[in-house]
Amino acid sequence: MLSKTLSFNRGITVQNLRHVGWIGLVHLLVLLAAVPLQLIMLYTRREQNDAPLWNNLFEISGSFQAVVVFTFPVLLAIFLFRYMQVKSSADFMHSLPIRRKALFYQHTALGAFLLVIPVVVTALITLILYYTLGIDVLFSATDIFQWAGEMCLMELFVFFVAVWIGMMTGMSVLQGGLTYILLLFPAGISVLLLMNMTYLLTGFAADYYLNRDLEHIIPFFRFMRLGAEPFAFIETFVYLFLIIVCYVLSLWLYQKRHSEAASQALAFPVLRPVFKYGVAFCTMLVGGFYFGETQQQFGWIIFGYMTFSIVGFFVAEMIIEKTWRVFDKWKGYLYFFVAMLIVGTLLHFDITGYEKRIPELGEIEQVYFGDSVYDFIDKKSEYVPYIQLEQVSQFLKEKENIKNVYLFHQQLIEDQPMPSSRSTETRYVVIGYILKNGDRMIRSYEVPVEQYKSFYRPIMESKEYKKNYYFLLRDKGVSPVRQVTMRKADSGEETVVLTEPKQVESFLTALKADLQNESVDSMLGNVGVWGDIELLQSDGDILHVTWKKSYMNVEQWLKQQRLLSKARLTAEDVDYAIVVKNKNIEGKPLTADPRFIQRLSARTDVVRITDKRKIDECLRQSSSPLDERHLYIIIFYRSDGSDPQLGGFDEKNVPSFIREQLQ
Amino acid sequence: MIEIINIGKEFDDLEAIKGINMHIQKGSIYGLLGSNGAGKTTLLKMIAGIYRPDRGTVKISREPVFENPNIKKRVLFLPDALYFFPHATIRQMADFYKSIYPSWSEERFARLQDVFPLDLHKKIHRMSKGMQRQAAFWLAFSVMPDVLILDEPLDGLDAVMRQKVKNLLVQDVAEREMTVVISSHNLREVEDLCDHIGILHQGELLIEKELDDLKADVHKIQVAFHGGIPARILNGLEIVYQEQRGSVLLCIVRGNKEQIISYINKFEPVIFDVLPLTLEEIFIYEMGDVGYAFENIIV
Repeated sequence: MLSKTLSFNRGITVQNLRHVGWIGLVHLLVLLAAVPLQLIMLYTRREQNDAPLWNNLFEISGSFQAVVVFTFPVLLAIFLFRYMQVKSSADFMHSLPIRRKALFYQHTALGAFLLVIPVVVTALITLILYYTLGIDVLFSATDIFQWAGEMCLMELFVFFVAVWIGMMTGMSVLQGGLTYILLLFPAGISVLLLMNMTYLLTGFAADYYLNRDLEHIIPFFRFMRLGAEPFAFIETFVYLFLIIVCYVLSLWLYQKRHSEAASQALAFPVLRPVFKYGVAFCTMLVGGFYFGETQQQFGWIIFGYMTFSIVGFFVAEMIIEKTWRVFDKWKGYLYFFVAMLIVGTLLHFDITGYEKRIPELGEIEQVYFGDSVYDFIDKKSEYVPYIQLEQVSQFLKEKENIKNVYLFHQQLIEDQPMPSSRSTETRYVVIGYILKNGDRMIRSYEVPVEQYKSFYRPIMESKEYKKNYYFLLRDKGVSPVRQVTMRKADSGEETVVLTEPKQVESFLTALKADLQNESVDSMLGNVGVWGDIELLQSDGDILHVTWKKSYMNVEQWLKQQRLLSKARLTAEDVDYAIVVKNKNIEGKPLTADPRFIQRLSARTDVVRITDKRKIDECLRQSSSPLDERHLYIIIFYRSDGSDPQLGGFDEKNVPSFIREQLQ
Repeated sequence: MIEIINIGKEFDDLEAIKGINMHIQKGSIYGLLGSNGAGKTTLLKMIAGIYRPDRGTVKISREPVFENPNIKKRVLFLPDALYFFPHATIRQMADFYKSIYPSWSEERFARLQDVFPLDLHKKIHRMSKGMQRQAAFWLAFSVMPDVLILDEPLDGLDAVMRQKVKNLLVQDVAEREMTVVISSHNLREVEDLCDHIGILHQGELLIEKELDDLKADVHKIQVAFHGGIPARILNGLEIVYQEQRGSVLLCIVRGNKEQIISYINKFEPVIFDVLPLTLEEIFIYEMGDVGYAFENIIV
């Protein structure tokens, strides 16, 4: 009986209600505005036939609710435990004959009450409106209960995190700030660590670990998704567990906390180094991340580590000491610097052998090869969101391919390619292994394509790879093609339509032969494009295949069918062509002037081509749309007087006669 | 009543209290004196169970104070910087105290309205500093605690109110055997109130005395003799301080008054007076030989 009267004190609760009751009241009003009011508003305009599709209560005003959920609990925790953060009130409250445990119970109980009751009241009113107004909504009474449950869970979670932070700091401002930082911390630190690993370890596949689950651990984003994806059982359990952990931890810390911690940045002296070096470490990673992504140079990354960690260290020190004159504490930074230097050096010199690690060839069951990690991720469901018509990244099982990928990887380990200057064309190479014992391993590199083409070739030109690469070549999934439509690359204008089954059949044979024989250069996109081929399947789906200039079988087939000149611009249709060097004029690209084509005929530094064979070669070698890699611009003037067609030659595709004449 | 056993307290690098032992008897008024930063407030807050000592314990009625509601409901601490709930009136604060302290006397609260001419329903924050202090005393006396701890309590009160408060304190001590611990940097302020005095300096308790003892023990004497001061006379006295003005010898002597008088009379002095010492003088002489400056304690 005695303990009961001691643990609940009316005076404290009355006082607390005077102090924070308004938060509960405003909380209720805001929730009423967020849900029931919206229903009433909808009811009054029910004739207008614009009923929104609300599948549940989160969809009524999700982002507004998110703001409520992430502000009111924090505000409440700050105000309720404000007494601990001010010296005079901390002394007063702790001079009273009430145990800290009892104070804590009473404050948190009132806090939980002021969060839960408004939600429950709102849910009840919503329920009444739902049954009485008879409006057209897609949610049911169960959704209302679920909404109330999930709101309470999230609000209590945020509240108890804020309470816990309040126990560790002696300043209300920091309590608020650190609460939000902590809610973002798990996701933030994961991104920072993973991204920084890629700068220190060549081949580290950060993207593989940075999969979309990261969003789930940011409570704010998780809440925003509640409308689409309610809490799974395990999530509910995790949040409940975290609430209990925060609660128990807070109580324990409160009993350890000194009254005199009020107004100190950190309530426990042991937290000072943790905070100081923690902030320095995180800002260091931010610095590395920033310069790593913008400059991609190791020197800049080191610069980022240094400057940001210095700033972070001293800012943390300033917060702790509550003065900006802390620069005499540089010794503390020195320890940090030395420690980071050692860790960084060990990582950089690959103490764990990460960069050199490669499984035994015999242990490999299958390899993964491509340009993204996404398909390597072990997906739980078989659901595929979309079909890739060109499957760049895929698993390979054939011995020869396993060996070629393995050789490629060995070369990469030896070369340790670092992301270099942007002028050379680079590609991501992602290599993964699934070993016979079930282990998985993945590496990701960024390499200059040209230098490694000989490694790409045997893999990408292999039958196994090709078959998976082009959807059209796969054994499964392609329905019979009913119609073929060829379109121009630039305008999308229809040129040739084939509907005759035999014709379609023989066209497809030619196209498939081209795809099967396609060279790695063509696959990596270094050739021009004639147009687009649309294949209408019997199930109504349309398959698109790019008609590349390298597809000789298609070309031959069109010629035989006398469709070539319909399908694309041919030398016969071109009167003449003019080639000019692609140089900037007054800092602007040549093509920026809308009238440059008209002005060309007056210029002397151009080549005029009339020979049909040369025009044909130019047609085949040129590519569009134009960009800065094109050294020359060519304009084809048609015999029928229609608009001239533009193209360009890059370094590799310039016909020799042009190079000779236009130096 | 209050036992302080070897307590110590540190704030970061600062050792505020360095191993203090004290014993305060029930029904006494203990004056804790010390200059600014001596550690008075820290010590009082540990006695009140607000601060947890880093070492040692504070016991009241043989039980530790810290986190002990049974003891703390009989103890009231009146801090230097007063605290009232934001926007609270005296009545609201009274209701709060009533809900917290079982010993609260509504009758006393009503009676004290005559002593403190304050508006019950006015917000305390709007009152002057002196009125706020009066309000604090009003509430404190109405709680009727067994132990009342006062940190620099008389600052901001006018002379009349000071006297009223002192009377109330003495009255409670006499009637209910309330124990009072009172801190001050001003000896004169508490001289007429305390029966025990402790002096705190840089976290250490320099001296702890019963005032009656002190006054009975030390005497100021003035003597003059025909033909100069006999050399032997000084040997038989415990002299704290001596000074010669012409043929007159002025000294502060420890010991029993009667014995000293009979001893001096043996030398047949021409002039012989035993003068009373102020508390201030006692401390200056007591402490003088320890070598500390006491100006700011005594003011």
